[in-house]
Amino acid sequence: MMPSSHDWINNPMGVVEGMFAQRNSNPQWGSKVVEYFKDKLKEKEAHTWVPSLNDVPLHYLKPDSLVKFRCLIQDMFDPEFYMGVYETVEPSNNAKVLKCGKYKDVTECGVDLISRNTVTSERQTFYCVPVPGESQWAKDSYACSSQARVVPSTSYVPSRQKRSYEEDDDMDTQPQKQRELHIEHHGNGDSKRQETEAPSSQTTTPSDCSSHLDLNFPLPGERGPACLVKVYEESDSFKLNDTIEVYGILSMSPVLSGVAEEKDLASSLLDPVESMETVEEQRAHSPPASLVPRLHMLFAKRLQHNNPLLPSAPLEDNSTVFSSFLSEITSVRADLLAYLTHILLGDGLAAEYLILHLISSVYSRRDVLPLGKFSLNLSGCPTTSPYTDKLYTIIQQLVPCSYRLGMSLQNMNSLRLVPRKDYVANRLVSGALQLSNNTSLFLDETQLEQGQLDTSGVRNVTALGNLISWQKVDYDFNYHKMEFPCNINVLISSEGRSLLPSDCQVHLQPQVTPSNMEEYFSTFLLAQMSSQLNRYRVYLTVARTLDYSISDEVTKAVEDDFVDMRKDDPQSISAEDLHRLLVVARLLSLSLGQTTLSRDCWMRAKHLEVLRTSRTEQQKSVNGNEP
Amino acid sequence: MEPSVENSGSGVQVKDGLAEKCQKLFLEFLEEFQNPNGEILYLPDAEELIRPERNTLVVNFTNIEHFNQQLATTIQEDYYRVYPYMCRAVRHFARDHGNIPPSKEFYVAFSDFPTKQKIRELSTARIGTLLRISGQVVRTHPVHPELVSGTFLCLDCQSVVKDVEQQFKYTQPSICKNPVCSNRMRFMLDTNKSRFVDFQKVRIQETQAELPRGSIPRSVEVVLRAEAVESAQAGDRCDFTGALIVVPDVSVLAIAGTRSETSSRVTGREGFQAEGIQGLKALGVRDLSYKLAFLACYVAPTNPRFGGKELRQEDQTAESVKNQMTVQEWEKVFEMSQDKNLYHNICSSLFPTIHGNDEIKRGILLMLFGGVGKTTMEGTSLRGDINVCIVGDPSTSKSQFLKHVEDFAPRAVYTSGKGSSAAGLTAAVVRDEESHEFVIEAGALMLADNGVCCIDEFDKMDLKDQVAIHEAMEQQTISITKAGVKATLNARTSILAAANPIDGRYNRSKSLKQNVNMSAPIMSRFDLFFILVDECNEVTDYAIARRIVDLHCRNIESVQRVYATDEIQRYILFARQFQPKITHEAQEFVVDQYKRLRQRDAGSSKSSWRITVRQLESMLRLSEAMARLYCSDEVHPKHVKEAFRLLNKSIIRVDSPDISFDQDQPDSQDITDHDMLGAESQGTNGTSGTEGTNGHPGKAVDVDQQPIRSEKSIAAAQPAFKMTFSEYRRISNLLVLHMQKLEDLDDEGSLKKSELINWYLQEMEGEIDTEAELIAKKSLIEKVLHRLIHYDHIIIELTKTGLKKVGGEGEEPRTEEDPLLVVNPNYMLDD
Repeated sequence: MMPSSHDWINNPMGVVEGMFAQRNSNPQWGSKVVEYFKDKLKEKEAHTWVPSLNDVPLHYLKPDSLVKFRCLIQDMFDPEFYMGVYETVEPSNNAKVLKCGKYKDVTECGVDLISRNTVTSERQTFYCVPVPGESQWAKDSYACSSQARVVPSTSYVPSRQKRSYEEDDDMDTQPQKQRELHIEHHGNGDSKRQETEAPSSQTTTPSDCSSHLDLNFPLPGERGPACLVKVYEESDSFKLNDTIEVYGILSMSPVLSGVAEEKDLASSLLDPVESMETVEEQRAHSPPASLVPRLHMLFAKRLQHNNPLLPSAPLEDNSTVFSSFLSEITSVRADLLAYLTHILLGDGLAAEYLILHLISSVYSRRDVLPLGKFSLNLSGCPTTSPYTDKLYTIIQQLVPCSYRLGMSLQNMNSLRLVPRKDYVANRLVSGALQLSNNTSLFLDETQLEQGQLDTSGVRNVTALGNLISWQKVDYDFNYHKMEFPCNINVLISSEGRSLLPSDCQVHLQPQVTPSNMEEYFSTFLLAQMSSQLNRYRVYLTVARTLDYSISDEVTKAVEDDFVDMRKDDPQSISAEDLHRLLVVARLLSLSLGQTTLSRDCWMRAKHLEVLRTSRTEQQKSVNGNEP
Repeated sequence: MEPSVENSGSGVQVKDGLAEKCQKLFLEFLEEFQNPNGEILYLPDAEELIRPERNTLVVNFTNIEHFNQQLATTIQEDYYRVYPYMCRAVRHFARDHGNIPPSKEFYVAFSDFPTKQKIRELSTARIGTLLRISGQVVRTHPVHPELVSGTFLCLDCQSVVKDVEQQFKYTQPSICKNPVCSNRMRFMLDTNKSRFVDFQKVRIQETQAELPRGSIPRSVEVVLRAEAVESAQAGDRCDFTGALIVVPDVSVLAIAGTRSETSSRVTGREGFQAEGIQGLKALGVRDLSYKLAFLACYVAPTNPRFGGKELRQEDQTAESVKNQMTVQEWEKVFEMSQDKNLYHNICSSLFPTIHGNDEIKRGILLMLFGGVGKTTMEGTSLRGDINVCIVGDPSTSKSQFLKHVEDFAPRAVYTSGKGSSAAGLTAAVVRDEESHEFVIEAGALMLADNGVCCIDEFDKMDLKDQVAIHEAMEQQTISITKAGVKATLNARTSILAAANPIDGRYNRSKSLKQNVNMSAPIMSRFDLFFILVDECNEVTDYAIARRIVDLHCRNIESVQRVYATDEIQRYILFARQFQPKITHEAQEFVVDQYKRLRQRDAGSSKSSWRITVRQLESMLRLSEAMARLYCSDEVHPKHVKEAFRLLNKSIIRVDSPDISFDQDQPDSQDITDHDMLGAESQGTNGTSGTEGTNGHPGKAVDVDQQPIRSEKSIAAAQPAFKMTFSEYRRISNLLVLHMQKLEDLDDEGSLKKSELINWYLQEMEGEIDTEAELIAKKSLIEKVLHRLIHYDHIIIELTKTGLKKVGGEGEEPRTEEDPLLVVNPNYMLDD
């Protein structure tokens, strides 16, 4: 069954060229190509047959085959022109043939450069990196849902041709086995990786070269291939920091790499254009294809979320999956609440707020004001034990993307948080705040000590403050700053009130004081089934993406309520408080799976807030950190 | 450049008829085009070209359009193709009119090309046509010589091959011209006999204004040649006129024009020569992509649209701004200027998400328009920029105002007083790490030159840092004398500051000065001070609730703008070009109002500052801004009126927010007024209830600790008595004096409330004519007393006299209807 149907994966260029040949000067042929591939992928599970750059090592992939890549647009290069149509001359008989230059970087045969039939076209290049801070469970889960020929490494033969035949024979059985293996493996939550699916095996090569080639990952210690994605259609619809899944044709021709090497200083004087690019630029824009492959985009799917446990299509299309989930949402919530309560040392209120925080998301912006953000400051965290470490591990296991930033003085002074434009290499040097939407950013203020912040330290703290207050990062373009909106869930753990702003501060009140934190957590973690964790993960993502509205009736009630509260005691509630209360009410409703605000929920939200603020009041007398 | 040499490689050279015709026409143009005085316009310029450092003739493109529209079109559409021919025409022209060396190359440059493209709009269709693009220069490379035409020596037969044209690539002759010599490869360049031209690469980047949100700015390499080199520095915003080309392959162009790069291409294809070719390339594998470059012949500083560098460049006029707009844009501006309700409409469109606070919006709007900067006869310059300060309780959307302005205004810088030192705000001298030279690093104020500097948490700034920006605020310059660097830099910026009151909440019983941690000199430099108080009354509370809930319900309709942001920006840019003069009537009106302010100032001692000339200046600036808003060349009394009203609102209201109503102000619709109304009406009927404890004699309440909650009240719509603050002070002083006098006379001299009222009415006898007046006076004095007792605590009411045994025996146990009154012992009569 497989060989013929998989031709479009193994040799997509064949399809493209075939369509080009039949185009009959129809300018629409390009969209037909895209349609063809989209149709193919609509088939059930078809998209799992396409190998992913995220989990298959690059040297196992066949050049010019169809691959997919789940990534973040880290930088956008200037557009480049290429020969969309060119003419080749057969040296033997001087026959001229028109060829299509789309979806490829190089051509093999002699090109007639002065042909009148040459058509110059334009394409856009994006520099894409794997989604920063992607949790291990998400990576594993994506990898094991893939049915692309992932064969255990021992049987992996580099010769692609041979292997593909081999594999076609046992294609039916292989994936099945694979999946079992994965699930089993995944079950114990260990992150030991299988060699076949490990993007980390990438690092063996890059780590040697990375000394002179910076792949420009936003977060330190990231792995995986970066990729130059060539975009042919609608490149304007993509924005920086978008998370997309690209389906495209892989190109790794070594010709693309070597440009930087042959550099003759003497000739540069005579051929100024040859030195049009500096060495730095060449390194940034034409890195070796073996490290940074080129991917010619056929089409891309924008990822609404990065949760492998849910279908990536918009939720409305999966109403069945969805409604079945909604039915058990309350039980999942209760379980999760219990789980988090335990982790927060028995503090149920903090656990409630943590859930609200985890499902928060900026859903709209009014001028400068982001709506729906809910950054949480968890004060009163124990500092003696590695508590924050553990807490982060738990969060990491719940969300698809996360990053922990220890706010030690040294980190604040030395880290590069804000992306900066490097005009020498003409690229955007990434920073730790270049994150995909809904990444959980865990700021650990318990690591802060007294001392001097230097200039970059002040800048970093300001950037964090801006991020929390306005959900935007001002990228440094040297001559000016440019703000990029973002949507990052910021959780600050601190001893007292954090020095950073936050939407909401909860003071932790531990009910239990485990003598051995390590033990407390490890015994507990083991008790959590991975299926249970998966329920939580699905729950958090679904709750975030639900639609929400407030009926006119409730609107009125809320307004009256506000005015009444003000009447009794004007100090009790300010406009800001109402704002927060509405966010809490919204998140609370969503966490319960309700898509409209009910009176009940409103009262509950008010109750939560009262409990929370009363704690803060108590705390106020203790620390003088108030403004 | 001679065609004869060009075809060294490809043999047959097609003669380009169009280009040659173009050359002829262009020469005609140079020879014939005359300025209005009948002189040949380009002759003097061409004669200049004889000087060795000159080689470029700048031609105004509009002149060509006037001369011959067809020629202009050809140049525009086939620029790259005809360019060498035009250069040749220049050479002929120059040669005809001067004695120039034959080997000298000449170039032509076009200025004032009418249309302008964005960098993002450069596409394949535009290759080779004449374009003007603008962008910010982000990187410049050093200038180096580029070989234009080479003279080669054949290493085999020693014959000389002259004038081998070079274009982008080092090109050797493909074959020795000596027929018997078959050398194709071994040549030597004779640098002395070859011709070079200055060559420089710069990179420009999209300006922020052109950039779609969420995209990385695009950049393009610009190649500058001849006299255009070194005319752009990194950081400049410039316009470049020239053509988009693809490099290194110019094949596409070569087909369109006659430019022959065949020689280089031949070598490329055969792949054995010149280029260091890798094995793969030798096999014919080639990259399909090109790089883009922009070959510019002319560089000029950007003619600013809004968002350009010079928001209020001095030589801009309303006319020139108008010329930069498209027809639709201009129509919109015109339509706006005709809008009767413009003031209000712009205000509401500017801050759609901020509820109420109309006065602040107006103030900020006038700040954006700005007053007219003037220079006195002595040469002192008076600033035209308006500085605004917002003081307010936490969580009253101060920062939102600032953020909005930062977002909206071009060249606006947002900074926080907490995080920035004086150096960060003004300018700092820093030592460059590489060169060890001192350089001046611009601070926020300088960066906002000709813009707005938004400083949040102004009060948190060190006092000495506040002082450091004195100079910037009044003189609009920043001087640096440090580490051997002495400089005076421009900082013509409006300052929009936000500050928190000292105790976190604004204390109404104190003056502004006591509420804000700012030195008096700094305060006086703000034209407008606004107080944002967390008001509590049902009307505003409902409005606030509605706004916030709307925000959360995704009601798109809740954001209503009459005008779009860019429309307002354009309008402001246009309106700012007006330099309104003050009319005679307006002058008189100003004098009048100023006198009034002064008089009131003399009456009231609680003023935050004295009304001085500075306020007069502010009034003028505000009036001018007001006139600009209506695109008026003259300041009329109505403009002054609004300016006065705003100023009045901003200072006077702050000083005496307690009870006063300005009788001369019919417009009393704002929140403060509502609130006053409430407080006042409560005074009339609110004798019972909660206030009882406050009135307890055992509790000596300090005047300064009066809580704001006294404002909590019901907004009764019924009209109440109005009274200016000074009037209130006068009566209270009168009463207190009387009571103190009595107390001094006699220890038991406590006065009953009714006695005091009667005494007061007797005092006032002379002013009372009718019975109605008497009743009015009576209720007025009752209210004043009520206020003195319950809010200001100047007078203490002794109700349960029995406990203290000071009162008469008769009234002991019951709650007094006619209580005894004493002056609070802590109260000192001021002035």
